[in-house]
Amino acid sequence: MVGEEAITMIDPAGLKAIGAGLAVGLAGVGSGIAEKDIGAAAVGAMTEREEMFGKGLIMTVIPETIVIFGLVVALLIS
Amino acid sequence: MRLFQKLRRRGSPAASSGSSNYAYVTARVRAMKSNLLPNETYPRLINMDLDEITRFIEETQYKQDVDELARKFKGVDLIEHALNRNLAVTFSKMIDISEGELNYLITEYLKNYDIWDIKTILRGKYYNATLEEIKDNLVSAGQFKYNFLSELAEKESYENVIDALSNTDYYPILKNYDGTNLPEIENQLDTLYYQRLFNAIGTPKSSDRKLFSKLIRTEIDIKNIKTMFRMKKEGVEDGELEDLVLDGGLRFSLKEINKMIPLPFADFINSLEKYPYWEAMSDLVTPDMESLVDLETSLTKYTIKSAASFSHAYPLSIVPIMDYMISKKNEVNNLRIITRGKAANLDEDIIKNQLVI
Repeated sequence: MVGEEAITMIDPAGLKAIGAGLAVGLAGVGSGIAEKDIGAAAVGAMTEREEMFGKGLIMTVIPETIVIFGLVVALLIS
Repeated sequence: MRLFQKLRRRGSPAASSGSSNYAYVTARVRAMKSNLLPNETYPRLINMDLDEITRFIEETQYKQDVDELARKFKGVDLIEHALNRNLAVTFSKMIDISEGELNYLITEYLKNYDIWDIKTILRGKYYNATLEEIKDNLVSAGQFKYNFLSELAEKESYENVIDALSNTDYYPILKNYDGTNLPEIENQLDTLYYQRLFNAIGTPKSSDRKLFSKLIRTEIDIKNIKTMFRMKKEGVEDGELEDLVLDGGLRFSLKEINKMIPLPFADFINSLEKYPYWEAMSDLVTPDMESLVDLETSLTKYTIKSAASFSHAYPLSIVPIMDYMISKKNEVNNLRIITRGKAANLDEDIIKNQLVI
């Protein structure tokens, strides 16, 4: 009986780790989706006007903040 | 990556579907639009002589075209060919860089250049124009490549031209051409073009498609207004009307046009007042007006303006691309007017009046 209980029990530390992983992972996927169009647009603008490189780069990495939030949350959890 | 694309394409039911890269194309087009000549360039160009204009054009985005064609042509012909080539290259680029549905719509829209070229060649043959004159006006921005078009232009008679086009969609119309009914054939080609374009748009559901359809239909309206004014001025009989106006306009239905045409000129003008296009015409239209140049310029300006304002409403749609194509075409037209005017020693004021700025 004791042995069976030990199998069904879930370690809270493991759940925390999964939560932290989800926080970073989903935030990464989200910002990836957001960056897809911005990146495409930035490359498009850059092919015609090279001086757009700086602006394009900054615009492209703005959604990256979401990942930082995800990372912070992950650190708070673990 | 290629394998992935192949798989994705196999999964898509029709050639027109598939994901479109609106973000990429619209951003690129906006950057291209900022490279167009600003309006204040034109008055400066009018003050230059032909060589200076050529040099000026050579310093802009037309450089490559001027350089490459400089061996074959000179003077006005060089500029004319460079402008046409640039227009063709720019518009073909639109087709090359777009994907999916967007690509399909642009391709359909640009087919008016194919029709334009067929018309140019047939008209050239009709009036016995020289090969150079015909080639001056060919723009290979649609499906036909320049080599194919110049081969067409080199054919001896219109029959040979039409035979060479036998595997295109235009053949069923062209085969009825007997050497005399050119206006009829031209209008049928235009009608076919708009039919196909409306087919491509389908019943617009999303708001950007609606806007695109609205833009095309405004274009038809403006064309019809111009036709009506010309008909009124030239005293064309009502019987020929059906062949001359285009169906599918936004505000003018064929019925309304039919009603307006028999009216005397003054009443005809009054009947236009209730349409939104009146604001573009009100200052220029008088019962005793002689020249239609100002009016046509103002109407073209109206098209450009409405395209520009539409393009801000839906930044990620085909409308900004249309806006660019209309502005680009206008720039090329303006440059052509200036160079041709200069070459013909026209007065500066006359040239200025013709420009659409």
